[in-house]
Amino acid sequence: MAQSRLEKIGTIFTRVNGLIKAGAMRFEDRPIWYDLYTAYPPKLEPRYDRPAPDIKIKNIFYAEDVIRAKYHKSERHETLNLLDARRKTQSQNFIQIYENLKEQNPLDEEKIFDTAVEMLAEQTRKSPEAKDESTISLSSNFADSLNKEDRNKPNVNIKKIFEE
Amino acid sequence: MVNWVIYKPDVKMLQNSLKSAARLFKYQNACVIPQRLQQTQAAETTPKPEPEDIAVIEERILKNRDYFQVHNLFTVRDLFNARVHYGHKEGSLDARMRPYIYGSRLGHLIFDLDVTASHLRDALNIAAHIAFRDGIILFFNRNALNAHLVEKKAMEAGEFSHTRFWRGGIFTNANVQFGAVTRLPDLCIFLNTQNNILTQHVAVRDAAKMAIPTIGIVDTNCNPNLITYPVPGNDDSPAAVELYCNLFKAAILRGKEKRRELLGETVESNSANTEAKSQQLNQTE
Repeated sequence: MAQSRLEKIGTIFTRVNGLIKAGAMRFEDRPIWYDLYTAYPPKLEPRYDRPAPDIKIKNIFYAEDVIRAKYHKSERHETLNLLDARRKTQSQNFIQIYENLKEQNPLDEEKIFDTAVEMLAEQTRKSPEAKDESTISLSSNFADSLNKEDRNKPNVNIKKIFEE
Repeated sequence: MVNWVIYKPDVKMLQNSLKSAARLFKYQNACVIPQRLQQTQAAETTPKPEPEDIAVIEERILKNRDYFQVHNLFTVRDLFNARVHYGHKEGSLDARMRPYIYGSRLGHLIFDLDVTASHLRDALNIAAHIAFRDGIILFFNRNALNAHLVEKKAMEAGEFSHTRFWRGGIFTNANVQFGAVTRLPDLCIFLNTQNNILTQHVAVRDAAKMAIPTIGIVDTNCNPNLITYPVPGNDDSPAAVELYCNLFKAAILRGKEKRRELLGETVESNSANTEAKSQQLNQTE
């Protein structure tokens, strides 16, 4: 079969099309993707020498990033379970409290921040999941979540392992 | 009779070549190659009239924007949950990936999932159409973490995969390497287009050389230029790769099912002999 292996010139379509037009390849012998390419052309021509567009990458920032940064600077970091998308993290709770306070009293930001920290501490103390801070570590967190899902029970009975 | 004598060695040669082509791909569905063998043999010798010509059906189908309804295979939320939007850090950005990027969050690039979704739908549509036309589809992946997953999914879809070191010339020098005329795949799907973090997969270039269309998941550090249907997205996370694999598998199976439905074929005996298949035959040379 006639073919052109110069992948740096044109696209696969223009090369095959050229062969068909020049009579090197019969139209009936066209590859099965030829009709698909004609019907559904790609969004950009797959050319080797397609220049890179000059688009600026914008930064993604949120309005609450300022207080989030401030919160993380002043407070201890918590351990997070990244797979748990349902429960809110401490900083998310903090931002919510902060926003609520700010709506009620849009005056002194310093004061709102301090009150929000206190309210958050209060909230965590009251919540049923609260426990002594010193015991929380990554491994204890992991074990806890396993216990909660009832997956921590070993299915091997060590006492009976040599029986039978 | 004379014709038959002339044709016979041709058929033999083709048969041999297809057998050796089968050796090319380690993880093949055992039943697929013999089935294709029968088709190619039959297409050469005894063309039978069809109730409706496949070419007419194909033409009719091409007029539909989304014949296989691939748009309902996934939602943007699914992409988000599978962590498709995570790119690499800004320093490793390939400038040609700029149009697909939403922004940079503290140095980490984030893909625009709306753009990704429309590219992915195009790619799924092409995959379904190629499967409908009984093309051979080859999955690529060079990430050891996801290699087994890709091989398994390709097998489930009844297609092929290549997840190991790419010996140069598998496409470009196939007839010599396999000792016979070899049918190359009709579509290459790259689940990552890089060999390692620095170099592009050689098969991307080779597929372009051999005029094989490619679908590729391109991360922020990849070059999308030679990929016919690039899909911008995270190509490292197992969750994302699993999503892509499932989507391509579903699209391919839809294409195959439609083919069986329209041509009245059964899985075991593929008896329709049509122009489309003789077209594929010509690709072997």
